[in-house]
Amino acid sequence: MNQKQIRWAIGVLGALGVATVLVLHGMVFFWVPTESTMGIVQRIFYIHVPAWWIAFLAFGLVALCSAVYLWLGDERLDRAAVAAAEAGMIFTTIGLLTGPLWGRVAWGTWWEWEPRLTLALILWFIYLGYFLVRRSTVNPEQGKRFAAVVGIIGVLDIPLIHVSVTWLRSLHPQAVILSAENPMNLDGSMGATISVGLLAFTLVFASLFLARYAVGGYEHELDLRDASPGSIQGAEA
Amino acid sequence: MRTYLRLVWAVARKDLLVELRTHERLTAMGAFVVLIGVLFNFSIDTALVRPQDIAAALIWMTIIFGGMLGLGNTFRLEQEDGALSGILQSPIPLDALYLGKVLGNFILLSVMVALVFAVFGLFFSLQFSGNPIALLGVVVFGVVGFVSLTTLFSAMATRSSMGENLLPVLVFPLLIPVVVYGTTATDRLFAGRPVAEVSGNLRMLLAFAIIFTVAGAGLFRFVIEE
Repeated sequence: MNQKQIRWAIGVLGALGVATVLVLHGMVFFWVPTESTMGIVQRIFYIHVPAWWIAFLAFGLVALCSAVYLWLGDERLDRAAVAAAEAGMIFTTIGLLTGPLWGRVAWGTWWEWEPRLTLALILWFIYLGYFLVRRSTVNPEQGKRFAAVVGIIGVLDIPLIHVSVTWLRSLHPQAVILSAENPMNLDGSMGATISVGLLAFTLVFASLFLARYAVGGYEHELDLRDASPGSIQGAEA
Repeated sequence: MRTYLRLVWAVARKDLLVELRTHERLTAMGAFVVLIGVLFNFSIDTALVRPQDIAAALIWMTIIFGGMLGLGNTFRLEQEDGALSGILQSPIPLDALYLGKVLGNFILLSVMVALVFAVFGLFFSLQFSGNPIALLGVVVFGVVGFVSLTTLFSAMATRSSMGENLLPVLVFPLLIPVVVYGTTATDRLFAGRPVAEVSGNLRMLLAFAIIFTVAGAGLFRFVIEE
């Protein structure tokens, strides 16, 4: 894809994403029925679950692009990885903020060591490590390699963390009758709303991903110009 | 194969010899273990909490924090005076360099772990009625997993402007399976539960150790190359 096509795609995906988010909010607040057990707070579910889905999709993309980047050395893959990481961090944060809001009413406490919420918190810290290590080296190429290694190690560990946390929770009595793993039987309108939520967040993520990828491309062009012999910086170097 | 193992042992032996002569890391880790035991003694109200009930958690937290203290300096010696460039120019395969570092760190940490059990056993009068071989297995597999992950990230931290401050941020989230399976298995063994109840923990700790030792050996060259 050239830059013009990427800009076009960003615009289209962004517009579709925003429109779908607006439709989602309309459905959440005015159309979908209130869940009988948890009441009105259950509507956070339609934001929380899609955010969580995108957070893990983004991290999978980070790991895949990182692995191929280390193998092929193509800087476009590193750009894709960092674009996915930045967008993924946003959605992980949304998931972490909406989870406790729901939990305060559903569980009576702001935080519960429920496996998915715990895993989302750990994922947030793995993303943080990814960014910290990327920016902490004098040599930017080294930072990119380090970040790629963090992404790969992270994706290897995520399933182990999930299994261990889920196993640990199974040892203890559940705090609530309804758990996040099995919240309710979804009827047709609830299923439709969550599907729209997934679509909306995927479109927004795709738009953010492409926008950040494009910005990464401009940064790379600037770096190349600065380093070229004809440039002032290049001459000074 | 034999040559490869000799190279791995040569790296480990070099680190252990340096440590035997300088005692830098062992002294720091040893002092930390004893002092943490002292601090835990003052932070636990023994009228309300039996140390035996939380011994496993105290032991594993001490191993991790104390281990981080020592493992953070894994590559410090090579970083000084550009010795790392010299090693990279040598024909030693980079994964052998990594495994040698892991082996050296594992031996160092094993000494620290023995001290942890001795100090906590003494300070808190801990009783152990479980299977000692199973406990050894839990500790060995857990420490190998911890060391393999921390050695890889220690190489990163050495080359980072944040230095050792970066290491806990990178490593702690990833160590959760070791903490979960290690502490629950240690807890059960201290309570005299049968080995069958910790066999799952042992398998998961072994899987963690294998996955991250292999991954570390494969990814190390991307971290150590300049």
